[in-house]
Amino acid sequence: MRDTFVKTLLEAAKKDKNIILMTGDLGYGVLDTFEKELPGQFINSGVNEQAMMGMAAGYASTGKRVFVYSIGNFPTLRCLEQIRNDVCLMNNPVVIVSVGAGYAYGSQGYTHHALEDIAVLRALPNMEVIVPADAIETAALTHSIIASKKPTYLRLGKSGEPVIHAAEPHVSHGVINEVSPGSSGTLIFAGSVGTVAVAAAKELAAHGVSVAVASMPYVSTVDLKYIKNALAKGPVIVIEEHSYRGGVGTAVLEAVNAANLRGAIGLIASDQNNLSQIGDQAFLRTTNGISVETIIAKFNALAAN
Amino acid sequence: MSNTAKPFAKAADLALAARHEIISMTSTAKASHVASALSVVDILSVLYSGAANISPENMDAADRDIVILSKGHSASALYSVLALQGFFPKEWLALYCQNDAPLGGHVTSNGVPGVELSTGSLGHGLPYGVGIAMSRKKSGAKGRVFVVMSDGECDEGTTWESAMIANHHELDNLVVIVDRNKIQSLTFTEDTLKLEPFADKWIAFGWDAKTIAGHDYSLLAAALSTQTRPTCIIADTTKGKGVDFMENSVLWHYKPPTADDVTKAFEQLRENY
Repeated sequence: MRDTFVKTLLEAAKKDKNIILMTGDLGYGVLDTFEKELPGQFINSGVNEQAMMGMAAGYASTGKRVFVYSIGNFPTLRCLEQIRNDVCLMNNPVVIVSVGAGYAYGSQGYTHHALEDIAVLRALPNMEVIVPADAIETAALTHSIIASKKPTYLRLGKSGEPVIHAAEPHVSHGVINEVSPGSSGTLIFAGSVGTVAVAAAKELAAHGVSVAVASMPYVSTVDLKYIKNALAKGPVIVIEEHSYRGGVGTAVLEAVNAANLRGAIGLIASDQNNLSQIGDQAFLRTTNGISVETIIAKFNALAAN
Repeated sequence: MSNTAKPFAKAADLALAARHEIISMTSTAKASHVASALSVVDILSVLYSGAANISPENMDAADRDIVILSKGHSASALYSVLALQGFFPKEWLALYCQNDAPLGGHVTSNGVPGVELSTGSLGHGLPYGVGIAMSRKKSGAKGRVFVVMSDGECDEGTTWESAMIANHHELDNLVVIVDRNKIQSLTFTEDTLKLEPFADKWIAFGWDAKTIAGHDYSLLAAALSTQTRPTCIIADTTKGKGVDFMENSVLWHYKPPTADDVTKAFEQLRENY
């Protein structure tokens, strides 16, 4: 996912010298080609996320499109007030790109797990939060972000994530991209955790239950039209690799509430029950409540009501 | 724009007029930070009377000099100077901090002409200024960046992160002016978190740095006239400068002047300037 992003950005940056890539001293083996080919558009700020984010905002105020790249919590929580005041309040078009969504950094530990970033960034005014499902969606979304002029948070996985979309989805602002159709419910996911949703849908299908699977990359702008239709079919389960508190599921609940819709909505997210547990991404997803089993149990419970 | 005052050519005249406005507007609004504004107003007056290439005529030009007041709580000083130099109508000052008024208690970039960055949380102005200076340097664009900071603000880590970045990237278009009034929120800076040896710190970070008398208009103008490196001017100032009962007192970081205080303060200004 991260390689696709950098490759897509590099191609665009070759044609547009206003595109700047800034990093807080991370991206070994990932950003090298960009730096080599476009040294004038690459800045390694050093290990200083707060100054870097303020600097990115100032840089962007001069008419540049600045992409700030780092791991999970570093370009988000570490420099939150710089994002709030210098990026969002000033409406400077900085794109924050984090890698390592959810438990992608697995055994590297909780300091490297991004589990509260969506909730926090989503709370900021003027900020567009975008969570691609796979490399295909990442490429399409990167093109659309480059064309926009908004403060944006792009939450990427790491590398080698399975491709979920069979073909490049038609990415459109605030639109949910359906991966596969279904008649009696919908599993909506954000991010590479979509593989778990796809597996759960297969398992349900094996038991004769047809559910749609859909990627929701635009978290700040909920696709109410899609959600309304989905709720008419059956339960909607929102699956994310993030804390329950304030994430994608909450965004859906808020939007549904504001639109006075009704229907069964279930959330599958991390319950963060053991912050210090060591393990890889698949293991930590499961031990924190994100699995085929929990999705099916939640779906069945809502369907039975 | 109608109703704008005629620009002041001399920093001394601008600063004296601004001192009157600062005292009036903080009194009317019952607002804090009058002493912080009186401390920094001479620095701003020097910048906006010619040291910085910025005026109502070129304030949207890409090559203008950028002035960022990072100590956003001194908003009354910046707003007074901008109004007096014709960036916006002087009448706005009387509405300071009122509901739905253009000017608030901390510097707010809500379309107020001449305001480059909303500030109020300390430690934000310098990184932002570094970003503008770096973008300009990399693209060969003209125009310097002046960031006016408080001394207490230098407790913030972003100050020193930015100092390293500016040195590494040789930002010879960036100037920091520290309003060194030696008082911060609760007490004196040296009793809170020692800054001294202050100039040496900047020098150790690769900057040109020197301390000058911070209320001396010609010394300030001279110090700001040229640079070859990222440069820090430590302006040795007095908090509450010009009004003896407000000088060097933590109380006037917070206390709004009463009508009686205003009368006494104006008498002081007549005597002192």
